[in-house]
This record gives sequence, structure tokens and C-alpha cells, in this order.
Amino acid sequence: MATGTAPRNYGPAPDVPFELPYAPTTVNMYAMAAMRHMHEHGTTSEQLAWIRVAASHHAQHNPHAMVRDVVTVKDVVGSPMIADPLHRLDCCVISDGGGALVVVRPEIARTLKRPVVKVLGTGEFVRTQSGGKVDLLTTGAAWTGKAAFAEAGVKPTDIQYASIYDSFTITVLLTLEDLGFCAKGAGGRFVSDGNLISGTGRLPFNTDGGGLCNNHPGNRGGMTKVVEAVRQLRGEAHPLVQVPDCRLALAHGTGGSLGTRHGSATLILERE
Amino acid sequence: MSMIIGRREMPAPTVYPETKPFWDAAAEGRLLVKRCDDCGEHHHYPRAACPFCGSERTQWRQASGQGTIYSFSVMRRADVPYVMAYVTLDEGPTMMSNIVDADADAIRVGQRVAVRFQTTEGGPPLPVFAPA
Repeated sequence: MATGTAPRNYGPAPDVPFELPYAPTTVNMYAMAAMRHMHEHGTTSEQLAWIRVAASHHAQHNPHAMVRDVVTVKDVVGSPMIADPLHRLDCCVISDGGGALVVVRPEIARTLKRPVVKVLGTGEFVRTQSGGKVDLLTTGAAWTGKAAFAEAGVKPTDIQYASIYDSFTITVLLTLEDLGFCAKGAGGRFVSDGNLISGTGRLPFNTDGGGLCNNHPGNRGGMTKVVEAVRQLRGEAHPLVQVPDCRLALAHGTGGSLGTRHGSATLILERE
Repeated sequence: MSMIIGRREMPAPTVYPETKPFWDAAAEGRLLVKRCDDCGEHHHYPRAACPFCGSERTQWRQASGQGTIYSFSVMRRADVPYVMAYVTLDEGPTMMSNIVDADADAIRVGQRVAVRFQTTEGGPPLPVFAPA
């Protein structure tokens, strides 16, 4: 079985005996978050599919993307069911890859012949099952977003581009809600009708194609999110997905599993 | 369309001294939860100290074994399909488990379920849930 569908062992942690025998995998843990969101808020598979559709529209312009086919909502909901309610096209690719960031002092940055991008705000959080008070619909982004926006002194409506970690379509939907781009429960409507597609949508996201289409280096999905956000701010994204005069961007990473324990980190970046 | 989910071979859980009473009770067909004498909250997975108030005055209580499905997912891409779930016990805590002896296509969030015990490979039995 592939990484996403094999039981995932987190080692000798005290909670593991109460989880591992039940065969938690990456995909069925995120699937339970999606199933609960559908139950509480009436979210549909078609709404989740729009997230993949938007990513595919961006990936077609990235010659390095693993999957460059533009897909439709029908393609996504018609792809094989992996773990209800997540279809194959709700899941990210699995790839090798990596990235690097060079962070320098402001006086050095100003001597470089590149647009300078600076960090305006940050947030970090660790989310657990809270002793049995399980709430799969509130991710760590609910805390990291508040912290990062407060430090940056800006609002979600000020953000021109967002890199959102996208192991699965549901990961994006929950993160957008928790960061405050829309109300809790309204994510399905927010992502629909191409609203995340650069050039037409209100919030262009993952213009490299993201984890859903471009690449997903195991456990390093956050790095590529910061890389594409910096490209947008420098005006170095592909011309067909570049956000005009992009000055303020957000990057968000999620690590671990939304179904058990995860870490969250948010960066708000500005071009000087 | 129906897909009947039966029992599958399950690996044995690792038993630590702190949680041995839980597994000993499971071997007798009883589901235990921990309750804190100081703040009154139940919790799961079981710990020596209450995760809510830090008190070490926690006690094992026998749970009713009745609960409600908080969420679930049918893992169709497994050699033997199974149903991953979180079940909210009537005592309060939500625990990870599997749903067994059920039609996968008829399982719903909010459905009432009752505990069953599933044998493991060389270890204590595991609490799983079936439609009540």
C-alpha cells in the first residue's frame, strides 16, 4: 500500500496502543474530518472537488508539476473512492522534492538584486485530541491565524495570495475557515465556482499546483508553500497565474494528521 | 448496494503499566474509562493524571458501552475493507475505534452503537463498536 493508505505508526507514544490496531491511515483520518464537515455543515463532494479543480488550473502552467491535466468537478467526484468521502482526486500526489529558504538580515537583503520579502506575522500551534474532547473541524489554524494576523496588523481580506497546505481537499477547506477567510461551515461555498483560481477567483491559492497536482515531498509539504508565496510576492510566478502587484501573501503548513495530532504554522509575508 | 463489514485480524495493542487495567477489563468484556475525582471529567485515552486539570486523583469507571458515531470513513482501498470511526461514549469522551458487523453503506454519523470486543493477534481484545 502507498504512504497514504497504509496504517501510520507514530512510534512509542502513549496514545498509539489506542489507535494503531484500528488501522488509522493518512487518508481515512482526513476523511473523517470531511465526513463530519458534511454532517454538520452540509458540505458536498462537489464543493470539495472545486479545490482540486482550482489546483489543476494552476498546475497546467507549471512544467514541473507531477499532474498537469485540467480536471472538472465531475472528474473529481467520478474518480475512485479511496476512503469515504475522499476520492482519489481529493488526495495529493506523493513525490520526492524539497526546497530551501535563505533568511538574511535586512541590511544584507537590501544589497541583493531581488525584491525583498519580509515576515510580517507568524503563528504556531499543536493540536491534539484533547483528552477525548475530539473536534475534527477545528484545526491548529484557528490559533495560528489569529496570532499571525494580529502580529502583522492585517485582515484576511487584505491577503492577495494564499499558499495553503493541501494534503487533501478537506485540508484546504478547514484551513481557510480557521484562518478567517470565511465563517466556519461556509468553506464549501467559499471554494466553489473557481473562487480559488488565479485571475478569476477572490483568493488565488497554490498557483504552482500545490500538493494536489505539483508535488508533495513527504513531511515537507510546508516548504513548497513558502516558496510559491515568495515567488508571487517577487512577481516571479508563471505569468498566467501571477497575481497583479502582489504585495501581501499568506503561507500555511499542517503537519501530522487532522484526525489525531497535528502541528500548524502560519506566515504572513509582505513585499517591501 | 451493500458492503458487509465483518471482523478482520487486528494487531495486539502495546500494554503499558499505566493502562494495564483497561486491557485486563477488556479481556473480561468490560470497557473502562477514566474519571477525575477533582474536576469530574471523563477522559480517553486513559492517563494517570487528568488531562484537563492535572489531578492525579483519577479512577477507572466501567462505561455503559453505548455511544454515538461522531465520524467515520469506510477504508475501501484496504485488502480487507474496514470502517475507521470516532465514537462518542455516553460518558462523554470520544474514542477512536472501528465499526464492525455492519453494512458499510448504511453507517451514518450520529448512529447509535454498542461496544463489542475483537480478539487480537496474541494480545488483549480491542473494543470495537457495532450498530446498537
